[in-house]
Amino acid sequence: MNKQLVISVMSKDRPGIIADITGVILDLGGDLADLNQSVLGGYFTMILIVEFDEKITAEDLFAGFSHIQSKTKIEASIKQMDVPLEIEKRNLPTETFIVTVQAENRKGLVKIMGDFFFARHINVLDLETTKQQKHYTMIFQIDLSQISSLAVLRKELEMVAEQEHLEIVLQHNDIFKATQEVGTPVI
Amino acid sequence: MLRSDQIMATVEMVHKENLDVRTVTMGINLLDCRKGSVKETCAAVEKKIADYADKFVETCNSVAQKFGIPVVNKRISVTPAAFVGAGFTKDNFIELAKALDRAAESAGVDILGGYTAHVEKGITATDQAFIESIPEAIAVTKRVCASINVGSSHKGINMDAVAMMGPTVKALAEQTRESGGFGAAKFVVFCNQPGDNPFMAGAIHGVEEADVVLNVGVSGPGVIARSLEKTIAAKGRENLKLDDIAEEIKQITFRVTRCGELIGRHVSKELGVEFGVVDLSLAPTPKVGDSVGEILQILGVDDVGAPGSTAIVAMLNDAVKKGGIFASKAVGGLSGAFIPVMEDAVLADAVAKGALTIEKLEAMTCVCSVGLDMVPIPGDVDAATISAIIADEMALGMINNKTTAARLIPVPGKKAGEQISFGGLFGESPIMEVRNVGKSDRFISWGGRMPAPIHSFKN
Repeated sequence: MNKQLVISVMSKDRPGIIADITGVILDLGGDLADLNQSVLGGYFTMILIVEFDEKITAEDLFAGFSHIQSKTKIEASIKQMDVPLEIEKRNLPTETFIVTVQAENRKGLVKIMGDFFFARHINVLDLETTKQQKHYTMIFQIDLSQISSLAVLRKELEMVAEQEHLEIVLQHNDIFKATQEVGTPVI
Repeated sequence: MLRSDQIMATVEMVHKENLDVRTVTMGINLLDCRKGSVKETCAAVEKKIADYADKFVETCNSVAQKFGIPVVNKRISVTPAAFVGAGFTKDNFIELAKALDRAAESAGVDILGGYTAHVEKGITATDQAFIESIPEAIAVTKRVCASINVGSSHKGINMDAVAMMGPTVKALAEQTRESGGFGAAKFVVFCNQPGDNPFMAGAIHGVEEADVVLNVGVSGPGVIARSLEKTIAAKGRENLKLDDIAEEIKQITFRVTRCGELIGRHVSKELGVEFGVVDLSLAPTPKVGDSVGEILQILGVDDVGAPGSTAIVAMLNDAVKKGGIFASKAVGGLSGAFIPVMEDAVLADAVAKGALTIEKLEAMTCVCSVGLDMVPIPGDVDAATISAIIADEMALGMINNKTTAARLIPVPGKKAGEQISFGGLFGESPIMEVRNVGKSDRFISWGGRMPAPIHSFKN
C-alpha cells in the first residue's frame, strides 16, 4: 500500500537543487505526482506531492536531504496526507479575471486587497507581487463567479483605489491571452 | 497565470496608451424595406433597424465592461440609400434620411452611415435625385452620414458625378454655415468604396454582405507611439534600424487587432449576429497621444509634411497590415493608417506651421488609407476646383487599386490660416491653403468617363 507525502523544501538558490531533491526521492522509490517551484528574492522554494511505499518515513527523507553535498542548507518539512490530495490538473473556472494593483510601497498593501476580496467571497486563484524601488505591484487572478454585477465591483474597486491611493485595473483574463498568445482562439 | 511583465504590458496598452476598440459598427441590409410608398418604406426601415439594433449599444457596453476594454463608438451602417429608395424623388430621399436619423436615435447610436449612392459608371434618375437631396438631407438630420462612390479600378471614374461633387460639397457647407460648414464633414467621396468599412463617415453595408454583420475598427496610434518611444529609449536609437521599427509596429498591431477581434466576436455572439471583419486602420483622435502624425515625428521627421513623410507612412501602413492580418480571421474595410487633418492634433499643428500642404497630403494618401480626410479649405474655393481636387484623389485610387476618398470642408466665410473647430472627435485645425484655385474649370466641364486603367503591364 502507498502513502502520499507533501514535501516543502526551501534553500538559498543555486544550480542543482531540483536534481538533489528528486535524486533523494528516486533513491527511496518515490513517485513524483506534482510539484511547484519558484524563486523569490534569491530564495528557492518548492512543494512536491510524492507517493511512497508504506515503509518509507519522513525521517528517511530528512536523512536523505541531510546527505546532500552543498554549502547551502536545505530546509524541509514533510506532511503525510490522511486523505490523498487531488493531483489532477486544477480545474480553473471557465472565466477568470486579472486585477492589477500598483502603489507606492508601504506595509499592508496585500492585506487591503486580501480583505477586499474576502469581504466579497472572491477567490484568489493566483497572486504575484513585485517590488521595484518604491513601487509595489500586485497581480491577482480571481474567480468572479460569486459576483452578480461587474459594474458594482468596478465601482467598489474605484472607491478602494481612491481611499487607499492605489491604481487598480480589472480586466478579463482573455484580453491577456489574446494579446500575448499566438494560436489561442479568441472565442 | 501569464507572466507578470506580459500582464503589465497589456494593462499599460489600455490605460496609458489609449488602446481601445474605436468602433463596433452593425451593418444592416435594408433592400427588403422598399415598399409601395415612401411612408411605408421609411416605417419598414425604422422597424428593421430597431429589430436588429435594439440591444446593440447595451451589448457593446456590457462586453466592454466585462473585458475592461473601452468601445469608443457604436455605429450603424446600412445598404446604400439610393438602392433602398429606388424610384424616389429628392424630397422622398430627404424623408428617408429623416427616418434613418430617427432609427439611429432610437438605437442610441451617434452616427449612421449609408446615405450613399454608387455611380462609378453611370447615374440613374434615382441617383440624380439622391445626389440633389444630399445637402438638405444632411443639414436636417443629426446622425446621418453620406457618401458617393464615383470611381473604381474596374469601371473608371464617372466625371459627370465628380463634376456634381464640388457643388454638392459647397452646398452642404453653406446649408450648415452656422456650424462652420460641419455638414461637409459628414460627406465623403470615394473611389473603390468598401462595403464593410466600419469607420464613419464612409461606412456602408455593401449589397454583397449578409443581412446583418458586425464590423470592428481598431485603433492604436497611441499604443504604437508609446511602444516605439519605449523601444527606442530601452535599446538606444543608435542600435536600431528601420526594419527593427517595422517589426515593433507589427508586433504591437498584432496585439491591438486581437483585442478588436475578441471584443467584436463576443458582441457578435451575444447578439447572435454574424461577425464581419476587423478593419486594421490606425484611426487618430484629436486627443493628445492618439495621433498618427506623432508616429511620423518619432520615426524621424520634425514636422509631418517634411520630406520623408510619405516613406514613413508607407512603412507604417504596411507594418500595420502585416501585424493585423495574422491576428484576425477576417480583415477588411479600409485597413490602413488614416491621416485626417482635423482629427489629428499633430497634423493640424503641421498645417499651422506651414509644413503640411494639400499636395503633400495627396502624395501621402498614395501609400496609406484613406485620402484627403477632414481637410478644411477656404469657403471661397470654387466648386470646379473642389471637383478637380476630388478627381485627383480618385485617380490615385483607381490607378493604384486602392480605396481613396475626399472629405473636404469649404468653411464658409473663412480664409486659409484661420482656425476652425468642430469639437469632440471631429477636432480642429487651421484652414489649409488651396493653391491654383480657378484653373481647372475646363477639365471638370468635360464630363463623361475616365476609362478604367489597364490591369496588366504594371511597370
